[in-house]
Amino acid sequence: MNYIKTIEELHEMLKNKEVTSDELVKDSLKKAHFIQDKCNAFVTILDDATGKEVNDDLLSGIPYGIKDNYSTKGILSTGSSNTLKDYVPFFTATAVKNLERHNLVPIGKTALDEFGMGGSGTTAHTGNILNPWDLKRMAGGSSSGSAASVAAGVYPFALGSDTGDSIRKPAAFCGIVGYKPTYGMISRYGLFPFASSLDHCGCLTRSVKDAALVVDAMKGQDENDLTSWDSQNIHLFASLDGKVKGKKLFYIKEIVNLENYPDASNELKEHLDNFYKTLDLLKEEGVTIKEESIDRTLVNAIFSVYQCLSCAEATSNMSNLTGIIFGPRGEGKNIYEMIKDHRTKGFSSLIKRRFVIGSYALQKENQEKYFVNAQRVRRLIVDKMNELFQKYDGLIMPVSTGPAPYIDGHKEEITNDNTTNLEEHLQIGNFGGFPSITIPNGFINNLPVGINITGKCFDDANILNIAYALESKMPYKNQVAPIIKEGPYE
Amino acid sequence: MHNFTKELVDELADKLLIGLTREENELILNEFNVIDETMELITKIPSISSVEPMTHALPSSTYTPREDAKEESVDISDLLANCDAYEGREVKVPKVVGGD
Repeated sequence: MNYIKTIEELHEMLKNKEVTSDELVKDSLKKAHFIQDKCNAFVTILDDATGKEVNDDLLSGIPYGIKDNYSTKGILSTGSSNTLKDYVPFFTATAVKNLERHNLVPIGKTALDEFGMGGSGTTAHTGNILNPWDLKRMAGGSSSGSAASVAAGVYPFALGSDTGDSIRKPAAFCGIVGYKPTYGMISRYGLFPFASSLDHCGCLTRSVKDAALVVDAMKGQDENDLTSWDSQNIHLFASLDGKVKGKKLFYIKEIVNLENYPDASNELKEHLDNFYKTLDLLKEEGVTIKEESIDRTLVNAIFSVYQCLSCAEATSNMSNLTGIIFGPRGEGKNIYEMIKDHRTKGFSSLIKRRFVIGSYALQKENQEKYFVNAQRVRRLIVDKMNELFQKYDGLIMPVSTGPAPYIDGHKEEITNDNTTNLEEHLQIGNFGGFPSITIPNGFINNLPVGINITGKCFDDANILNIAYALESKMPYKNQVAPIIKEGPYE
Repeated sequence: MHNFTKELVDELADKLLIGLTREENELILNEFNVIDETMELITKIPSISSVEPMTHALPSSTYTPREDAKEESVDISDLLANCDAYEGREVKVPKVVGGD
């Protein structure tokens, strides 16, 4: 039986008794083990998971995955870090608790770039996470295991978190949907903090409708997260009607125009060409799309501003990782030596480097030039976007420079590459807390690529609806990587 | 431009109680230079110093304090379950005051 369906289709099957929740869960667990062998997508597979009662709730009885930086009571939650390799929380994150009320069944905890601080899926303490479309390629990060497992058809959705593009880029690399709603729509309580002013909860699915359904269930104001807000009047799933005639979108010339990339690879040329062809599909539906220009100094600053802010906030947030109260004890004669041993052995090279950059930006003598100026440029970028959102419903952009890169030879380093702006522009969505969704928009060299739509805060329903209309014009909804067909499922 | 040195990187890492390999130190030096180039450009944005720094994605929200109700606190044994060394209800560490 083929259970690679949308949530609505699975619900129909459950209600019609074509399958039970327990059968779905068992099938999902089988697939999880198969994909684990191929892609290394999980930290933990919950083998004792069983089906739950199915009622009229579309989500009831459906299996799903949880990124391993969400706290889950009584279940190993590592953040994919050696510093928390045995950590079992005594409470559950609010977003997961909200989902529990819908009788959903967690199947596993998915691997990520350590604490969400990477974009490749190559810094998890359990090893590289591979792309199910091509096992030599990265899944993208940091929600790597969530993206790989959803793309491989293990279940219809998994939870992600997004500080720079950690839901939306792996979604593109794995040919699925990745949605981060407006900042604070979903409580961050129980999500391991990386950079609190930029961190968002969200989900990875294979259709826009599923993303709307899942976030409807995850969201809600939470007294444990002061930045969460009341979204009772927002009904994402019910708002989807696909009517987009008269909507207006823009893209940023300084990032998208091929002239910015004199040495463009064929892959990049094809990716941008495919982007413009995708825009035509929306134009056919009556959407106006225009090119807009943004001060190049601001565009060029996006990545450095992101690094200054996120590394500084991370340095502070993760100062509690000492190995004294929790985490494996380091060795040493005194408490300082013990903490240093714990942190030196426990952190991957990448995040050690990020912490040092963050610490530098926060030193009293450097704060004004680095940290505070980064906060100022953040405001200039967000103000410019909000000015444009007065005229437009949203920003539409290609994700990354093409399909997922090869893992071999990849170095996650801060460089001055001239394609950086195209790789990193999704960080704008985190600066402003804007709702932002990536959907698949085709293939290059037989590998999936994605397109992203970002809108003004609290306008999630509008953004999802534009994505929904575009999705229905393309044949990529609910697609899965062919790898699953190698298993005993077809 | 700032003059970044290996010693500066090691000093910063030490403040964070993190040890770096020589390779990691060199990588950070390169990364510092890339970030510094951009941040230099930022200082040249007209009136940048008069822009209000943005510390959060959304303007501060109004928060209504929760009821001042008595709640069960987390059980000490649950809190200590992830600790590698404790005695009774307390975390065990080497002597800090007057120790070696």
